[in-house]
Amino acid sequence: MEILTVRDLSFRYTLGTEDALKGVSFGVEEGDLVAVSGPTGCGKSTLLRMLKKELTPAGELSGQVLLDGVPIGQIDAKTAAASIGFVMQRPEHQIVTDKVWHELAFGLENMGYPQDVIRRRVSEIASYFDIENWFEMDVADLSGGQKQLLNLASIMVMQPRILILDEPTSQLDPIAASDFLTTVQKLNSDMGLTVIIVEHRLQEVVPAANRLLIMDRGGRLLHYGKPREVCARLRERQDLLMAMPSTVRLFSAMDGRGECPLTISEGRQWIGGFGCEKQPVFDPSSESSAPLALEMDDVWFRYGRNGHDVLRGTKLAVHEGELFCILGGNGSGKTTCLGAVAGLNKPYSGKVRIFGKDIKEYRNQELYRNCLTMLPQDVQTIFLRNTVREELADAGEAAKDLPYDIESLMDKHPYDLSGGEQQLVALAKVLATKPRLLLLDEPTKGIDASAAARIVGILKKLRDGGMTIVIVTHDVEFAAMAADRCAMFFRGEVTSTGAPREFFSENNFYTTAVNRLTRGWFHGCITHEDAIQALRLQG
Amino acid sequence: MKSFKDHNPIAVFIYYLFVIVPVMFCTNPVLVCISLFFGIAFRMAKDGAGALKKLLPFAVFPVISMIVNPLFVHKGVTVLFILNDNPVTLEALRYGLTIGLIICSTVVWFSSFNSIMTTDKLLYVFGSVSPKIALILSMALRYIPLYGQQIKKIRQAQQVTGLYKEDNAIDKIRGGMRIMSVMVSWALENGIITADSMTARGYGVGRRSRFSIFGWQKSDKALMAATAVLGLAAVLAIGLGKLAYVWYPQIVTPGASPAAVVCYAAYALLGAIPVYLQLKEEARWRSLQSEI
Repeated sequence: MEILTVRDLSFRYTLGTEDALKGVSFGVEEGDLVAVSGPTGCGKSTLLRMLKKELTPAGELSGQVLLDGVPIGQIDAKTAAASIGFVMQRPEHQIVTDKVWHELAFGLENMGYPQDVIRRRVSEIASYFDIENWFEMDVADLSGGQKQLLNLASIMVMQPRILILDEPTSQLDPIAASDFLTTVQKLNSDMGLTVIIVEHRLQEVVPAANRLLIMDRGGRLLHYGKPREVCARLRERQDLLMAMPSTVRLFSAMDGRGECPLTISEGRQWIGGFGCEKQPVFDPSSESSAPLALEMDDVWFRYGRNGHDVLRGTKLAVHEGELFCILGGNGSGKTTCLGAVAGLNKPYSGKVRIFGKDIKEYRNQELYRNCLTMLPQDVQTIFLRNTVREELADAGEAAKDLPYDIESLMDKHPYDLSGGEQQLVALAKVLATKPRLLLLDEPTKGIDASAAARIVGILKKLRDGGMTIVIVTHDVEFAAMAADRCAMFFRGEVTSTGAPREFFSENNFYTTAVNRLTRGWFHGCITHEDAIQALRLQG
Repeated sequence: MKSFKDHNPIAVFIYYLFVIVPVMFCTNPVLVCISLFFGIAFRMAKDGAGALKKLLPFAVFPVISMIVNPLFVHKGVTVLFILNDNPVTLEALRYGLTIGLIICSTVVWFSSFNSIMTTDKLLYVFGSVSPKIALILSMALRYIPLYGQQIKKIRQAQQVTGLYKEDNAIDKIRGGMRIMSVMVSWALENGIITADSMTARGYGVGRRSRFSIFGWQKSDKALMAATAVLGLAAVLAIGLGKLAYVWYPQIVTPGASPAAVVCYAAYALLGAIPVYLQLKEEARWRSLQSEI
């Protein structure tokens, strides 16, 4: 039976000139897991907000959203709030109170439930989500992944019938993101909870989903149906395919016949069918012989006198004109390492040399003048004006000097931009200092595949112009596409370095989806293009 | 059976009120000494003999007060000696000592109060006045570390992007203004998310109830009752002036009048409660442990 029905839904924001949604109709069965995808600005988030009465923005609305056949506008406020749960992007800002237990109880307090009911529900949910150990903690002391799980738990405690998630893992590292999505899947399969989710990480969501909804620019619904069938219908749309799991992309690129593989194991079986007799030959990578732009020699650092060592004899060498990616898990010290290079963290032992000169010999901001600049992870920390134009003027940067085009964003508020666009504007600001060494911290956090591909292009262009770029990232797909060399960071040390092809081919777990797909069949395939080249060889 | 600190925060809060306040309103050295004794005893029972070392610096209060009071107050009949043509009297000295001991005992009790009454417990106590206040306080406590972290991030970001000069004091002030300005728009923009998250979870649909992890058990009620009986007895005696000392010109003590003795005994029993609960809990735990 259909739990949620959307009928011919159109919407235009109060000040908007175009429809954000146009004639969208679909139905969701009880227990469905619906994955929603589409290009940036296609109205995915708007659509989700239409389904949650309390969050519906102001504007002109036509059409209907029915919950169990009743228009959601007619459902009483308490039932509406409890029966549809909504999780958003930024974990910190959805949390209202200071204690984990209070956050769990917040929704139930709003409903006016008595103490003993709240106690029972809260304890039940805390044990289901395995948060008993941090039940009495301050929310400020939780990690990003824990915060987002808390947000999910504090919605599940209200026993919703439909759970709506708007890019819930965009601010999380891959492991926390994977944990979160596993929990969502478990709720769907264990409890029969109906889930509607917008996600960038479709590799994990699409195989678990039983419905895939594709939106297109202009707020139109393009496809809605079983994931395999929808994926098969995307052949003509390269831009939409970009976001799909790599198995789907490969299958489409090779014009595959039959059932579209969704998971890595299905994909491997499909690739095995090619025979795999001819091995692709890739250009050998060569190490740069340019002088060193950055050198770290036996660097030790800890945050407080009594803290533990975060950098433990770090050794690192980056040549001028290199695009260098530092990969590693959470808490491995890679961001701290970047902070040491940027002069934020002062090591207690060892040397950091920037362009051959000890970092301690750079006086009075000399380090930051035409020398080194760092784009912080949270780019909102550097926006201080009302429009992008003012931001650039503030930094003294002319839009026409940029190696990329942001003309269309000039009159928007920086906070209104998508994650990818915010990265581009922030990058434009820091490029104003004409750096020779650019440091980036997680530049692909929270942005979709096509925006990431655009950033790769821009960074390569900057590198070709002679800039040295050092990037700290969790994103292996990005590193495989972008880097000249990669380094693995573990427990405050660099444990391996190498050109991406060798680096990822030798890793078993910490590697790209394409590498996992082709491992054992082909050697050295790490990107989508590599795999296509290899498969085409087989004829 | 639970130790003193695990009792319901309201009971604990009221206990502290009754143990600290009467001493402050009656300069009675006997009462002060009882208070100080049990204050210290509780710290030692709770934190071990090492607590004594931490409390030692508080001894400056009675010492200083004992020295300073006679230098400024020259009332009293028992002159000890003459300093700069002014008499230094025994009465002023003893009064100073008593006042110093009052301060000292208050500080000692507060030292255990601070470690027991964490913010969430205080929140619970004040929140019991109104759920609205409880929520506002809780949100404020949530925002303080959040904003603190963000300000640090913004400061670092402004430094490493190298966009702004930091050569002199004026640049530094400008930097501070910039941080404030970034902070304000950041807080407003992201506050919308918090507001959405609140409405999405039904904030404002009706009368809120209030959940807390602290319950009222038998032992909490017992603590409340004991505090009320003993505390009120002490307060009554003090209120009726049964414990009043006359300090100047000559010290007149209330002596061992029946009312005074009852009051001292009641207050001593009151002061002994936390020590008793703590020691009993530990003894119980030791005997249980030996059975494990």
